Amino acid sequence: MAAPVCLEYRIEGNNFMTAGTASNNIKNTLKMLGIQSEVCRRAAVIAYEAEINLVIHANGGILKAVISEDRLEITAKDEGPGIPDIEQAMTEGYTTASNQAREMGFGAGMGLPNIKRNSDLFEIESTPGEGTMLKSTVFFNK
Amino acid sequence: MKIKEICEKLNAEVQVAGDPEREVTQAVAGDLLSFIMGTAAEGSAWVTIQAHLNVAAVAVLKDMPLIILASGRKAPRDLEERCTAENICVACVAESIFRTCSRLSELGIEG
Ligand SMILES: Nc1ncnc2c1ncn2[C@@H]1O[C@H](COP(=O)(O)OP(=O)(O)OP(=O)(O)O)[C@@H](O)[C@H]1O
Ligand SMILES: [Mg+2]
Repeated sequence: MAAPVCLEYRIEGNNFMTAGTASNNIKNTLKMLGIQSEVCRRAAVIAYEAEINLVIHANGGILKAVISEDRLEITAKDEGPGIPDIEQAMTEGYTTASNQAREMGFGAGMGLPNIKRNSDLFEIESTPGEGTMLKSTVFFNK
Repeated sequence: MKIKEICEKLNAEVQVAGDPEREVTQAVAGDLLSFIMGTAAEGSAWVTIQAHLNVAAVAVLKDMPLIILASGRKAPRDLEERCTAENICVACVAESIFRTCSRLSELGIEG
C-alpha cells in the first residue's frame, strides 16, 4: 500500500437512526483492502463505540480512520461537553447516558472499555467545556 | 444448525428471511448494545427485545446473521428494511428471552 488511506466522517449528534453507518463503512473499506479479519473485527468495535459516543454524548464530531502500511488509526474528535474524570469514564458500568438512550440499549458503560480492550494503543484526552479526543491504534500482523 | 431450522423449531414468525441456509452454532442474549458489541462471537444468533434500527448496526458489525426478537416484539419498518438489505434474518417469537434461550440450548446451540 503506497499512500495511507484516509476516511473521514462528520457524525451528527443525537441522530440514533444513522448511528453505525460510518463504522460500517470503515469496516467494509478494511475488508476491501484485504486487511486481516481479526483487525477488521477489532476495528468494527472501536469505530462503532467511538461513533456512538459522538452521537449520544458529544453532539456529534469527526470520526477518522487512517489505514497505513502497518497500522490502523481511528480518531474521534468532538467539541462536546468533555469528560471531567477520565478514569471514572473508563470504568466498566459507568454511564451518563440519558434515559432515552438507555431505553434503546445504550449506556452499559462498556463503550470505552470495549475500545481499550481492542486497541494496541489507546489515548483519550478531554477538557470539560471544550471537547474530547480519542485515538486508537491497531497494528497489523502483530 | 441452519437458520431456517432454528426458526422452525422456535415456531418463529420470520419477518426477514436473510440467509436461511447459513449455519449458526452460537447465540448471545441481551439488550445492552455495547455489551453485545463487546462479548458476542461473530456469526452468533442474537436474542433480544430491542427492536430498533441500531440493532441492525450492531448485527452488521458483528456479522450476526440472525436476530431473534423475543416477547412478541416486532421489527419496525426501518429495521426490517436494513436487515433485508444486509441479508440478516429477523425472527419473532412470543416467548421470553429466557424461554427462547433454553430452547436454543436444547437445540444444541452454544452460549
Ligand atoms: N465523546 C464524549 N464526550 C463526552 N463524554 C463522553 C464521551 N465519550 C464518553 N463519555 C463519557 O464517558 C462515559 C462512559 O462512556 P462509555 O462509552 O464507556 O459508556 P456509555 O456510552 O455511557 O455506554 P455504552 O457505550 O455501553 O452504550 C459516558 O457515559 C460519558 O459520560
Ligand atoms: Mg459508549
